[in-house]
Amino acid sequence: MEILEFARPHTLDEALHLVRDRHGTAIGGAAWLRMNTKTMPLGVDLSELGLDYIREANGSIEIGAMTTYRELETSPLLEARFGALFRNTVSHIVGIQLRNIITVGGTLAGRYGFSDLNTTLCALGAKVVFYPGKIADVASFIQDGEEGPFLIEKVLLPVSARASYQQMRITANDFPIINAAAAWTDSSWRIAVGSRPAASRLCKKAMVLLGNEPYPSDEKIGQAAVAAAEELQFGSDIRASAEYRREILPALVRRALMEVRG
Amino acid sequence: MRDYHTSTPPASTKELDATQKFNVVAHNISKVDGEGLVLGRPAYTDDLAPQNALYVKLVRSPHAFARILSIDASEALKMPGVACVLTWKDCPRIPITRAGQGNPEPSPHDRFILDEYVRYVGDEVAVVAAEDEATAEKAASLIKVDYQVLEPILDFEKALDNPIIIHPEPEIHEMFPIGFEPKRNIAAAYHMEIGDVEKELAASPVTVETTVHTQAQQHVALEPHTAFSYLDIQGRLVIVTSTQNPWHTRRLLGLAFQMPLRQIRIVKPRIGGGFGGKQHIHIEPYVAMVTMKTGKPARLALTRREVFEATFTRHEMRVKVRLGADPDGALRAIDMQVLSNTGAYGEHALTTFMVAGSKTLPLYNKVKAVRFGGHVVYTNKVSAGAYRGYGAIQGLTGLESAMDELAHKLGMDPVELRRKNMLHEGETSEVFRIMGEGTEGVAMIIESCKLEECIRRGKELIGWDPTHLVQEVAPSKVRAKGMAIAMQGSGIPLVDMGSARIELQDGGFFKLHVGATDLGTGSDTILAQIAAEELGVDMKDIVIHSSDTDHTPFDVGAYASSTTYVSGSAVLRAARSLKQKLIEAVSLKFGVRPQDLTFEDKVFRTIDGSKELSLNDFSYDTLYHDGAKMKTIEATESFSGDKSPPPYLAAFVEIELDKETGKVDVVNYVAVADVGTPINPNLAKIQIEGGLLQGIGMALYEDVRYSDKGHMLSHNMMTYAIPSREDVGRITVELVDSYEPSGPFGAKSAGEIGIDTPPAAIANAIRNATGVRLTQYPFTPERVLMAIRQAEKGQKGQT
Amino acid sequence: MIITLYINGKKESVECQPGEMLTEVLRRAGYVEVKKGCDTGNCGVCTVLLEGKPVLSCSYLAIRADGKQITTIQGAAKEAEEFAHFLTAEGADQCGFCAPGFALTVLAMKKELPNPSEGEIRHYLAGNLCRCSGYEGQIRAIKKYLEAEHA
Repeated sequence: MEILEFARPHTLDEALHLVRDRHGTAIGGAAWLRMNTKTMPLGVDLSELGLDYIREANGSIEIGAMTTYRELETSPLLEARFGALFRNTVSHIVGIQLRNIITVGGTLAGRYGFSDLNTTLCALGAKVVFYPGKIADVASFIQDGEEGPFLIEKVLLPVSARASYQQMRITANDFPIINAAAAWTDSSWRIAVGSRPAASRLCKKAMVLLGNEPYPSDEKIGQAAVAAAEELQFGSDIRASAEYRREILPALVRRALMEVRG
Repeated sequence: MRDYHTSTPPASTKELDATQKFNVVAHNISKVDGEGLVLGRPAYTDDLAPQNALYVKLVRSPHAFARILSIDASEALKMPGVACVLTWKDCPRIPITRAGQGNPEPSPHDRFILDEYVRYVGDEVAVVAAEDEATAEKAASLIKVDYQVLEPILDFEKALDNPIIIHPEPEIHEMFPIGFEPKRNIAAAYHMEIGDVEKELAASPVTVETTVHTQAQQHVALEPHTAFSYLDIQGRLVIVTSTQNPWHTRRLLGLAFQMPLRQIRIVKPRIGGGFGGKQHIHIEPYVAMVTMKTGKPARLALTRREVFEATFTRHEMRVKVRLGADPDGALRAIDMQVLSNTGAYGEHALTTFMVAGSKTLPLYNKVKAVRFGGHVVYTNKVSAGAYRGYGAIQGLTGLESAMDELAHKLGMDPVELRRKNMLHEGETSEVFRIMGEGTEGVAMIIESCKLEECIRRGKELIGWDPTHLVQEVAPSKVRAKGMAIAMQGSGIPLVDMGSARIELQDGGFFKLHVGATDLGTGSDTILAQIAAEELGVDMKDIVIHSSDTDHTPFDVGAYASSTTYVSGSAVLRAARSLKQKLIEAVSLKFGVRPQDLTFEDKVFRTIDGSKELSLNDFSYDTLYHDGAKMKTIEATESFSGDKSPPPYLAAFVEIELDKETGKVDVVNYVAVADVGTPINPNLAKIQIEGGLLQGIGMALYEDVRYSDKGHMLSHNMMTYAIPSREDVGRITVELVDSYEPSGPFGAKSAGEIGIDTPPAAIANAIRNATGVRLTQYPFTPERVLMAIRQAEKGQKGQT
Repeated sequence: MIITLYINGKKESVECQPGEMLTEVLRRAGYVEVKKGCDTGNCGVCTVLLEGKPVLSCSYLAIRADGKQITTIQGAAKEAEEFAHFLTAEGADQCGFCAPGFALTVLAMKKELPNPSEGEIRHYLAGNLCRCSGYEGQIRAIKKYLEAEHA
């Protein structure tokens, strides 16, 4: 990737100006920039904006856009509130050397199909905050994107949740073939599925099926798992066929739900 | 996170007899270059390239098969800093092979350094050189090539006698008869039969037929192929390169460019892994062309994508095995028929294919009739070449899958079926005599074979109980065991040759020069150990230098599991000869007969104890003090084997299979090997551990994938995953006591034997877990699950 | 543009393009112990410590390292030599191409994890691929190295 001009703003206002008014490209972790052969007229580095935090504020857990995956994985706060969820979600992504670079904001902005994290964020009902303050559901942002230039400031999570992340990978550190996350949060069930190989989606019918029952029966869980595979679209790629993804998804959803239910 | 049963992986659990017997050999000595490599001292080709070298980039074909109509380099040449653009018109019209093999090569000469035709996506079209890398890249992208796109052949099952002919060019030829029929898309063919296979099969009360399809696999040595070149003070072309075979490289470049070999020097520095992938000339011709054209140094390091798309892969093969046996399991007939895919060019086509038979069929030498045959065909995919296992892994996968099916059919313990039929010490196989690598073989009585012990110990380590090979560990998870045995070779008899020169230096140490090529295996260390043992000195008294066509004696290079056995034997001979010369020189000095002199602990002593002289003092005498009698004491010796004693291995694997997802995990892989005396037990073990992991990768997921237009889809490490350290539970390797009389201090080879068993052993474990015989490699979760689902629907059998 | 890097404790002013990754800049400045292996961020041979944390230099924008501390294996030579002793004693150094990046990650792990289990060791080092050794010898070496450190 050739970058013609590189800006390192120190305030969010300055960054937003560069992105919105000068059509700059916000640069998150930038780990995969070099695989892009295009030319970027203006790169806007977000690393000097103090967006690197995981904290509790205003009734939410806030994760700054420039927080690295390694920070998610090792955060005592996230561990205390979500158990092993974030560790399970991100710790199979290549290696810690990459996870020390890639960021929450970069992953969200890219709306990558293969993302592990976006599936978990969808299941938790996370919100994305665009500077200077617009808030959207992560799930709807991933589905519909955002019109015009935007600058992701942070992600908001519920202060705690019982949730589980399940995935299928061919090798331990490869991209997932398919992944699923389930959460019991705000007195309802949320289920998300990603790497279909398209981006993460909520399994709304399965969620409705489970309703507000905190301890659904095995049978109910089984039905929800099957419903999740029926309501979503799957595709084929180098790693697996659509049929295979559809075939194994119920097992992953069931395992996630059972783990949360306990 | 995986649970590991034991806190530490098993190291050498038991001291080998050989360790007692020798002082340096059979001891775990750290690699002589190890610390320097860990500390990152400049050592690899790209670390050493001259700062002023031109950067070379290659323009590659975007089409699987095409004719180049025109190449317009005018825009590129206008760029400041661009030194030259070279195309097929700048190359002599000389067909060569890129396979680094002996002379004459058993591979067809079917390749031009650059050609008017391109035969796979990634085939070289033009060479660009510029003063910096960015300019070279940019210039390469500005070169306009007009192609006449031709219809390719991508499916190797459709290549034979296809109306599309991949190699119609008249100049190409074989060097000796290898069954080369390019008009039929056949790069090589072979057939042999011992006894009457059809008659024996017809007379066999029990028969099985199993056909496996093994895929193309990539080496993925972590250092990409890299070379740089320059002209020395005498105007000679020097190429420093990550090659496994300096001499073959020199010879083939001389042929390609019609240059006298005296004008070329090849140097191999440290290499970041080879596994057969660097046994070829992929990069050297292009830096050489630039240096010859411009007179300037030139450097080329392939990108990882280029390594994937445009070096070599393992040969994809379809192996059909038919077995006939008596009800007690005694084999009556083995028939192995192979179709091999060599890709666009025929490098190693014949030899990998023949090794599928020659290094597997002798395992079961009690059989009455054996047949082997088939074809190696061209397709418009990246060429296949040498890769660790070299046909044996493909053939063995077929043979050991079929043997397992036979055991099921007979209701016999698969271990006992193998024991009943397998080769033992003091025995031979007709196959040894009939099948070599491209030529006839060499009759050979097996002088060392501890397969029985390997099997006994392997069973013990895995806890083999033929009545309890499967265990349900969770509602959807099952653990199952499987096994396979294997053999390899140790060099190519009467073809491979290695040499060594040892010279006494002032200070009383020895300079050991070998042509052998250390790929990171530790062969420099092993060869120094052999010299130190024979001379009765310490490792630190040996300074080794290897792999430089100007400065070290000849060696064919590192391939075919040859270095320890072939080059090691040369070192042993040189050390023995040097010791004799030292004793003769000192006995002259003392005025005694050589037999009245001993040389021990670096001191020469007369038997009567009257005179003694240290090696250190003698070294100064002979080089500085002895007036007209001063001389250099050195010895040069060579070795070429008249046999290729096989190492053996018994493998037992335990897998865990998730029946809901089809995911197969290797929980424990036990391999017990007979490599003769391991010159350095740790290095031998690691060869096997590393080989096993590559074999496990091949069994489960490594796969070269293409689009329907012939574009490689798995062209980087995101799309072609190799095993990480979290992918396998435990690998347990042990060596057994064994002594090969023809090898140096009893040694055989260890480089390839490790890779051979996983595809078959894992298939056999999956068969036990599910009742399904998987035959299409690799066994991805999807393939495994679909096979289980089919079996559930009652469609049992092969998939 | 010119950036300032503190490489192995030494201040270096180096030229870089805005889109360039750190590996290229370091190798050009002579730090050839930082290897190039895969070009896609998968293999780990380019690992350096950035402010003490292991990162893939091939995936880190050089310009972002402006003003930061970078440690290559040469900058941790003393500790690396101790580890090298254990690694080579197992024969697990092999071709050595992955070794500088791998050894740096081992040193970072030693600082970060007090008494790691084998599972934790394998997980921490999963981003350092090795095609030669099969990993078992490396694990043996790490365990012995950590035990010796604790003794």
